[in-house]
Amino acid sequence: MPRWLRDTRVIVGLSILFAVLVLALLAPLLVQSAPDEQDLLSTLLPSAWAKGGDVAHRLGTDSLGRDVLARLLYGTRLALSVAAIAAPGAMILGTIAALLAGYFGGWVDWVIGRAVDVWMSFPPVILSLILMVGLGTGSRNVILAIVLVDWTRFCRVLRAEVLVVVRRDYVTAARLVGFSHLRVVLREVLPAVVPLLVTLLTLEMGIAVVVEAILAFVGLGVKPDEIAWGQMIADGRATIYQAPINLLAPVAAIFVTVAGFNLLGDGLRRTLDLRLVEGRG
Amino acid sequence: MSVLRAENLCVTARIDGVDVAALDGLSLTLAPGKVLGLVGESGAGKSMLGRAIAQLLPPGFAVTAGMLEFAGRDLVAMAPDQRQNLLGRQIGFIPQEPLSALNPVRSIGSQFAEHLRRLGIADWRSAAIAALESVQLPDLLDRFPHQLSGGMCQRVLIAMAFASKPALVVADEPTTALDVTIQARIVALMRDLQVAQNTAVLFITHDLRLAAQVCDEIAVLYAGRVVEHGPADVVLAQPLHPYTKCLLLAAPAISGPRTALYALPDQMPGLRALAEMSGCRFAPRCPLARDACRESVPALAGDTHKIACPHIAEIDTITVPALAPAMVAATGETLVSVAGLGKVFRGRFGRKPTIAVRDVSFSIAAGEFVGVVGESGSGKSTLARLLMGLEQKTSGEIRLAGQDVGGWGAAARRLRLRTAQMVFQDPQSALNPRRRVGAIVTQALEAAGVGLAERRARAAEILADLGMPLELADRAPSQLSGGQRQRVNIGRALCLVPKLLVADEIVSGLDVSVQAQLLALLARLRAEHGFALLLISHDLAVVRYLCERVMVMRNGEVVEAGRTDEVFANPQHDYTRELLASVPGAA
Amino acid sequence: MLAAFLRRLLAVAPILALVSLLLFGALRLLPIDPAAMSMPPTATKVEIEAARQAMGLDRPVTVQYAIWLGQTLRGDFGNSIHMRRPVAGLLAETLPATIELSLAAMVIAGLLGLGGGLGMFALRDRRGEAVAETVTTLMMSLPEFLWALLLIFVFGVLLSALPFTGRLDPGMTRPVVTQFLLLDTLLVGRVDVFFSAVRHMILPAFALGVAFAPPIMRVLRASLIDTYQEDYIRQARLRGVGETRILLGHALQNAILPTLTLMGVQFGFLFGGSLLVEVIYSYPGMGNLMVDAVRNADLPIIQAVGLTYCVVVLAITAGVDGLVMLLNPRLRGT
Repeated sequence: MPRWLRDTRVIVGLSILFAVLVLALLAPLLVQSAPDEQDLLSTLLPSAWAKGGDVAHRLGTDSLGRDVLARLLYGTRLALSVAAIAAPGAMILGTIAALLAGYFGGWVDWVIGRAVDVWMSFPPVILSLILMVGLGTGSRNVILAIVLVDWTRFCRVLRAEVLVVVRRDYVTAARLVGFSHLRVVLREVLPAVVPLLVTLLTLEMGIAVVVEAILAFVGLGVKPDEIAWGQMIADGRATIYQAPINLLAPVAAIFVTVAGFNLLGDGLRRTLDLRLVEGRG
Repeated sequence: MSVLRAENLCVTARIDGVDVAALDGLSLTLAPGKVLGLVGESGAGKSMLGRAIAQLLPPGFAVTAGMLEFAGRDLVAMAPDQRQNLLGRQIGFIPQEPLSALNPVRSIGSQFAEHLRRLGIADWRSAAIAALESVQLPDLLDRFPHQLSGGMCQRVLIAMAFASKPALVVADEPTTALDVTIQARIVALMRDLQVAQNTAVLFITHDLRLAAQVCDEIAVLYAGRVVEHGPADVVLAQPLHPYTKCLLLAAPAISGPRTALYALPDQMPGLRALAEMSGCRFAPRCPLARDACRESVPALAGDTHKIACPHIAEIDTITVPALAPAMVAATGETLVSVAGLGKVFRGRFGRKPTIAVRDVSFSIAAGEFVGVVGESGSGKSTLARLLMGLEQKTSGEIRLAGQDVGGWGAAARRLRLRTAQMVFQDPQSALNPRRRVGAIVTQALEAAGVGLAERRARAAEILADLGMPLELADRAPSQLSGGQRQRVNIGRALCLVPKLLVADEIVSGLDVSVQAQLLALLARLRAEHGFALLLISHDLAVVRYLCERVMVMRNGEVVEAGRTDEVFANPQHDYTRELLASVPGAA
Repeated sequence: MLAAFLRRLLAVAPILALVSLLLFGALRLLPIDPAAMSMPPTATKVEIEAARQAMGLDRPVTVQYAIWLGQTLRGDFGNSIHMRRPVAGLLAETLPATIELSLAAMVIAGLLGLGGGLGMFALRDRRGEAVAETVTTLMMSLPEFLWALLLIFVFGVLLSALPFTGRLDPGMTRPVVTQFLLLDTLLVGRVDVFFSAVRHMILPAFALGVAFAPPIMRVLRASLIDTYQEDYIRQARLRGVGETRILLGHALQNAILPTLTLMGVQFGFLFGGSLLVEVIYSYPGMGNLMVDAVRNADLPIIQAVGLTYCVVVLAITAGVDGLVMLLNPRLRGT
């Protein structure tokens, strides 16, 4: 078994994420009611085990009488899809920029470095809000906004790592035995930063889940007919005294999912980071 | 009373649940005002004694038997605060890496102040200035470590160590990180202070000749055991233990007749391997070994000159043949010709530009071995990188096989690829840890798009050339020993059978016995393939051993060039003379 | 030294220019006619066209940018389309509130981060280490807006211990001297109002601070561990320097440098994160102004507030870089 699969953090993180994924996929089998099915006669029902609860609505209903559990499970689908598309997107953009900057140095590095400076001077929340104003709502635009905001996270960290790798003599040696620049980057430089890349990707997926929730919470994320945790939080806030579960359920869902990604990422960093391992050896 | 006394001292490491003695039954005494050299290659355990004195052993290591006394007081059983009281007051330490041994964010003065105040010196400033004067440094209390050179940092650290007039100073490879001329000055300073204060010094080094020059007595350590112990001049002149003798014969000399190098097989067993060994630990590599040697541990016997070997009568059978005077090649066609080569690094952030190489001209004939010697900052590495097209020249001309390769263009690159290859200094950095040995040595074929089967066949040839077993082809570099890694490093450059090898410090940092193996390999490969070699080295003895011609560089300029035997026998330039005189063991 | 710092400050200018260009460009792409939106719905086409000309919207985009930049540099951010008030005035009212909240949160984040980092370092190679690490991982999984909601639920709803809307108790009037509420209440001697304001700030400041503390803890711990591997630490031990002095006099001085650099980045993020916390606590700061503007597509506000956020973030990073330069002799130049 590879070293990284023996780390407790990795195992726990993967288990959480697997469970979340299964819940998202099996959502139609787990709840009878559709997530957008309103029942104005039974609004703000408490959870099934509380007094006055209804077994049909295990986590109760919201102010429009929609089933909270159904919305929670369908919201998982959106959260995971955004994470699964936006994070690799940001990774690809950031990695290309970092490889160009770190490998070629000089003016290429300068230009990319200044672009990162400009991006970093925007707090991520502000930049994504501004982008959403420009792009308009919808899950596709949420993904685009995350990619356009968070590529710098990859670029900054990776560029530093690429600089370390590029200074290794084996990169120079590869050029001397006749490798083209592209081949040196793909065969000698990129493999050295893959462990870091995987770790960052995992952490970025957690960040994507949070950003999606934030944008939906502010009302600038997905379209009104899409089901998102952030929207549930915004709705649940209004009924915090009457039905706190409407607020707490999506908060817990976000926390658990993000914790899954973060535990996995932490475990991977500990076990995959070759520089650390070499340093200890 | 002795300053330091060790009696049957054992330092044990716990490795994978097995206890291994990293220091096994060490016994020695150090009298006041004497200098004892502890000599050994890496892994001999020579640093363990110093660490045991401070009780700062690496994790997993502990003193398990024997005793260690400082001025009659047991250092092992002593309470930590009492030991801490001795450190810096009665026991001083001089480190190996002076540049990193001073706190980078505190000024020299503030670090002196901390030390001297602890010693109870109220007027620390004048005391510090006096201490700096004692190591011939001006008042640099307001400066920071990064503003000083390595030699200056080491002198600061020596001044601090001697500031308390300690009874004992432990110097662990204090000059290894420094240039040879600076090494000579540092060693002289240390000796002066030691004599003036009548300090006992434990001098830990890998360099037997340096130890002989500095020390009164020498103890040679092999795999955690003292194999030979005696007066320094006696041990150097008449080594009686086979290991000491082989070690001396493995290191090329700076003067005297040129001899072949004694190539001990393999290398010192690591701690893991020691666990399964019985008897004499040198036996597997010893030319005098017989079956009995592998059964019982030989005792360290003798009066003033002690040897842990029962076969000293046969020591004279270990010899090396003399070599013919270096042949003068230069009869072949001209392979490299360099004229008026210069390189200026532009100053960044308003700093002044540095002239790394200025107006260098030379040529190398096919099959000729040329050495470039010089200290750090002399521009010798930049010269190698210019030749390989890794730096762009500022001025001058570089021709390979008659054609201009000065530019960046693809044509120059193709020509260079066919003609010249480079061997890098540090195999740790030069070998991609994610590639297998077979893939590394055939990387040039991979670049040319040669098929896998052909590459594997070539890898087998190259490994055979390097004297490495074929099964190593599927290993990762991390699974190889230091010497094997450097062979792979050389093998990669040999893949396309170049006419010129440019080798930058390829044996520095290797143990003497491994260095001898590699030098022998280079000599053999030369005979088989007939390539020319430009050898960049700070080690004059290595250049003397391997190269017919030598260039001496300083501040980017070639100050002297000529036939190696003539330059070494009769140096013309002052700097060459200083360089030669600084080498330990120079006649 | 001073020259190096001035150079660092100068480097901010081109970045700000690019930021303004980006803000201007991104928002000019919107299918919104600022002229039409700035007029009452009853305005005629002729009136709107006149407004367009007055605003320079009939000129080329580059000229429009020049006009906008010129006005911005003079402190004229135009009028809010939705609120029909000068944006500069709105900024003057809301920015101090956001700064007060962020500063309080930065102090909390800094104290928690540095304290936690030292605590975690003290636990190294002990059994508690893994627990402490897992706790920070879990803390990092709670972003500021979830902290804000959870704190409201626990301390506001369940315990009813602290207020969680606005800045003052209902019925209190805020004195205005400098627009910094905490300062103003003290300046006019209204201690009761001051304490009300403090009570209102506890939850939002803590939510914001605690969310940004874990990365600081981690970096301080990691750089302390790295520093302890350094030769100069061993050399100090060999000189007989005690462990306390080694930590305070040698290790911390070096380990704080990468930590400070990270804190600069974190505080920039924190300043941006204040937006969500303000929305959740109905705190009348720049974040609420921004979110309202975003919902109403109020371009002048979005541009001005976006720019203000960037200016503050750049000021924070430049300030931290200056501090690092001051503490690191290797960056001071020779």
